[in-house]
Amino acid sequence: MSKIKLKVQQEAISHASKGSMLRPFKALAFLGRKPVTEALQARIAADIYRGFHLNDWDKCIGCSTCHTICDNAAIQMVYIPDLPSDLLAGKKPFRPAIDYGRCCWCGLCVDICPTGSLALSKEYIHTCTEDHIDSYFILPDPKGMHKQPFEKGWEKSDQTDLLLHHRQTMQQLPALERIQNFDEIVQGFTDQAAFEEASRCIQCGFCHDACPAQMHAPEYIRAIWEHNFEQAVTQIYRTNPFPNVCGRVCTHRCESACAMQVRGEAIAIRWLKRYAIDKVPHARVKALVSQSEISKPDNNLSVAIIGAGPAGLTAAFDLVQQGHKVKVFEAADKAGGMMRYGIPEYRLPADKLDEDIAIITSMGVEIVCNTIVGKDVSMEDIVTEYDAVLLATGLQQGRSSRIPGSNHKNVYSAIELLAKIKRQEDFIIPHKAVIIGGGNVAMDIARSLARLQQQYYANINIIVTTLETKDAMLADDSEKREALEEGIVLENSRGPLECMVCDDETLEGLKTVACLTVFDKEGRFHPQYDYTDEVIYSADMVVEAIGQNTVLAFLGDTITEQLEWQQGKIKVDNEGHTALEWLWSVGDMVKGSDVIHAIAKGHQVAKSIDTYLQNIKVFS
Amino acid sequence: MRAENYQAVTHPESHEFELNFGPNHPGIEGNYALKVRVNGDKIVAAKADGGYLHRGFEKLMEGRLWIQNIALVPRICVPDPVPMEMCYALGVEDLCQFEVPERANWLRVLQLELSRIAAHLFTFGGHAATVGMYSNMFWGIADRDLILDMFEQMTGGRVYHMYTIPGGVRRDVGVEQLDKISDLLDYLEKRLSDYDNLFFNNKIFIQRARDTGILTPKQALSWGVTGPNLRACGLAFDVRRDDAYLCYDQIDFDIATETAGDALARNLVRRKELAQSIYIVRQVIDYLKKDKSTHIRCQIPNPLAWKVPAGETYTRVESSKGELSFYIVSNGGEKPYRVHVRGPSSMHAVQVLEKLVTGGRLEDVAQIMFSLDACPPEVDR
Amino acid sequence: MVWDQDKEATKDNYASQTIVLDQILHELDTLNIEQKNNQRFRVDVSAEALPALLSLLKGRAGYTQLSAISCVDWEDEFELVYHLWSYETKVLVSAHIRIQYTPAVYVSVYDIYTPAGFFERDIYEMYGVYFEGSPMMEKFILTEWHGPAPMLKSFDTLKYVNDMFNWQEYQPDWLKEIQAKGGKVVS
Repeated sequence: MSKIKLKVQQEAISHASKGSMLRPFKALAFLGRKPVTEALQARIAADIYRGFHLNDWDKCIGCSTCHTICDNAAIQMVYIPDLPSDLLAGKKPFRPAIDYGRCCWCGLCVDICPTGSLALSKEYIHTCTEDHIDSYFILPDPKGMHKQPFEKGWEKSDQTDLLLHHRQTMQQLPALERIQNFDEIVQGFTDQAAFEEASRCIQCGFCHDACPAQMHAPEYIRAIWEHNFEQAVTQIYRTNPFPNVCGRVCTHRCESACAMQVRGEAIAIRWLKRYAIDKVPHARVKALVSQSEISKPDNNLSVAIIGAGPAGLTAAFDLVQQGHKVKVFEAADKAGGMMRYGIPEYRLPADKLDEDIAIITSMGVEIVCNTIVGKDVSMEDIVTEYDAVLLATGLQQGRSSRIPGSNHKNVYSAIELLAKIKRQEDFIIPHKAVIIGGGNVAMDIARSLARLQQQYYANINIIVTTLETKDAMLADDSEKREALEEGIVLENSRGPLECMVCDDETLEGLKTVACLTVFDKEGRFHPQYDYTDEVIYSADMVVEAIGQNTVLAFLGDTITEQLEWQQGKIKVDNEGHTALEWLWSVGDMVKGSDVIHAIAKGHQVAKSIDTYLQNIKVFS
Repeated sequence: MRAENYQAVTHPESHEFELNFGPNHPGIEGNYALKVRVNGDKIVAAKADGGYLHRGFEKLMEGRLWIQNIALVPRICVPDPVPMEMCYALGVEDLCQFEVPERANWLRVLQLELSRIAAHLFTFGGHAATVGMYSNMFWGIADRDLILDMFEQMTGGRVYHMYTIPGGVRRDVGVEQLDKISDLLDYLEKRLSDYDNLFFNNKIFIQRARDTGILTPKQALSWGVTGPNLRACGLAFDVRRDDAYLCYDQIDFDIATETAGDALARNLVRRKELAQSIYIVRQVIDYLKKDKSTHIRCQIPNPLAWKVPAGETYTRVESSKGELSFYIVSNGGEKPYRVHVRGPSSMHAVQVLEKLVTGGRLEDVAQIMFSLDACPPEVDR
Repeated sequence: MVWDQDKEATKDNYASQTIVLDQILHELDTLNIEQKNNQRFRVDVSAEALPALLSLLKGRAGYTQLSAISCVDWEDEFELVYHLWSYETKVLVSAHIRIQYTPAVYVSVYDIYTPAGFFERDIYEMYGVYFEGSPMMEKFILTEWHGPAPMLKSFDTLKYVNDMFNWQEYQPDWLKEIQAKGGKVVS
């Protein structure tokens, strides 16, 4: 170090020296020096200067994080009606406005901005008289405070970014291991990983707005971060009686809206929900949920719910809390609907579903299984016995492609086969199976069959044919990826033409042709085939996974005639109310989709039923 | 002080008068006042009067997130803000058990020492003005401005840098920038002889400052004097050495001392420290140029979800004025439970100043205050 | 007092001084000592024993400097922390005491450490803890303040500001335009 410069001596100053008479003339030398003053004009600021704000409105999503971090409360969010709003994509029509009477130009808003839309410019001069004091409150845009072209100064870089963009890794069983059995693939967060993951959240609330059921995700993420798991579970149960299910198989709209995914990875909200519910013992969950306020019934009104799927049970859960008597009729041997019979064990273990249902029944919901309405109990009896009826039967029948040969006994519907596997019913496990369809159900059945093949034949031979290209397939990316890892073959852009049946009535395979386009110009489903490009996939089983239908024959002729219908579906209003004042209809049956939408619909319809029952009270 | 609170004190029998020296007085450093009782121009008694700059920082910090306080702390001392940021960051790092990257520590020393140079230029410029030598003040301010330019380029802000945050620093400093600082140091080093000629060797200054406001080593120690003021009494104590933080234990420098303990000695210590700081900055530049690391901050939690483990810590930094300490208490929450700022001037500007001016002459009040480098904002907080 | 300038904190010196420190700390039986690192000690002591501890530390262990006195409001009691620095051993001892909340009174240590005068005055002003025997308990910073001691946790600054002052809303043109379309400041 001492090489740099001769070490400074302590006694460097000869302050005692008297100097010579000529010393004052030294001052003359200063005449030639450059003055230290500067010309009266704005100096150009440094490259990273923290001047007035700039905000790129195209990038800004209105998440308010700048408002939250501002230590002087200088940032306020302004609702601008002109701006596009898309809650599902995480875009809100809010933009920050800055009060320069308060701002201290620390730049924390820039460093924390999840999108990188905010920056500080090199512009730093603004002044006004008291009459124009309003000019201190500005709505930054890319043009700058005075619409003059100033460059960006302090802006976001990887070095200055204060957010944590990387998701905690989730432990999953590797493909070779998981293909051997139906064990749950996702292992759940460790305590540390969950804490770290929860700590990444910036509490913008976009997840809440994007969730069909408006779950209080910011609140329960925060509670997990605070190690208050019971609080987290309480927050979850405010809007969702299926935390075990949704913590595993939810389609997590919340995560696609998460502000963190703009520049990094979304918070693993679904896995955090699962972590919270896994963390609290079942008995405690039961105790916590039973603490919720239950309205005291002052009359004996009762509701019959047909179908114990997510929508029906959610409605039941809400209605018992409103003080009504609820009975749920379920045709199958156990409650749960598609959650039980449509979702493979490796994604949702049945005992976890049982836990959720046990909480619901513990609240007073009565579920009667093995009871088919129209057979074991008549619709007429239900109508006379109950004050309100909710149809929540879902889509229980697989749709058929109706191609030649599709009525062969070895051509199954996916939904039927999944239920068989879930019930561990006997059927002949195919050596070669071809699946028609590219959605999540197709993946579920393909992967379930693959597991069975591995167990029985130690050889996987499954082909999934889809109309769409690989990118346009409806299945989730993770499903596609995991299916491929497990040895399933995807054949994209193939249109099914015929299930080939031999003379001896055995199934030979599936004849397909190339599919050029799936939709026509108007966006309607209208596939175009190239019949010259023909491929036959040999198979001893074909499974059709191309959607489901609802079966409502049990309603009987009278009710069917009284109802209004629309494209084969019961016509209902926004709250699920049918043309009959005592009848509601809900769930996948109304809006084909997923568990969380069914839950949301369940809440909605329960509210409507409750209002109806409250009015009956008034009249009686 | 408002008019309604003002009560003129007269002492007709003793011919004593009470004078308000400040808060609006060109000879007072910052917004501060001394009430002095004079008999002729001899000071019989003095009472420091603060509060003109009280902003309640300690209270405000209790209401802000750990990260938000980085914008608040530098404001505690206007002329020398970097040690404030540093002391706060050191405390939070201690409580959080952060491992700060080596490069960040050297970058922090760069900031600290440049800030010390700037503060000293400001102070002896001010001192010169109190003895009627305004050119020196202009020079000091003008040269300080060149350092502020460097700060602006490195941190984005001229006076309040908000550069040091718990865990490291906010941005790296490139080689080009280091060269610019190097050039500035060359210039400043040349200027030192100008300052010597104009000020430190100036007869007027020497005669005014010599034997003014003398502190004996014993007095200095018992009155809690620290920093250059203590070193001017011949006591070679420096937090950078005694309670080494950052990478000061790897840096070569002398603890500048003088022995007389008067206003002159205190200024000469600062003059020597200018040279020492330049020497330190050169070593830092040398290190930063050789160092190829780009790691300037350890992983800190999401600022919006950051709890600091419960505990307390007392961190000390040598500011240009002396020992600056922060006592930080966390109750495990998202905000500090208590931050106590002990500015060096809380000693120098109150009890020490009162004692030193008493018995002296009215014309020396301003001089003594500047020679102590008493910084009122540190006292008021 | 004779100060040996050349006396460096050698290992031996340090060791001997820590022995003295140890002895002192053992003489007072109500102590709880925690070493945080080489240069930081935390000592918890009863309020009655503190003046004696300070005298001993100053007189025998070379703790010449009272760096600061910090006050912490724990809402049911006050904690006073005396930070003592030894220029010889380069060690900081923080002596913690707890005193009752009301009446908050303690004794001054000004006679032992002159700097205490400032800190005691400051704490009285900010927390209302009175120090008996302190030379100056007059207001210093909050000359015109007649409200409660502002640093107390019970004093809510934001509430005070809201009660005391009016907020002025900005009405710039751009906001008026947005408001005309149905927009507004939301938070």
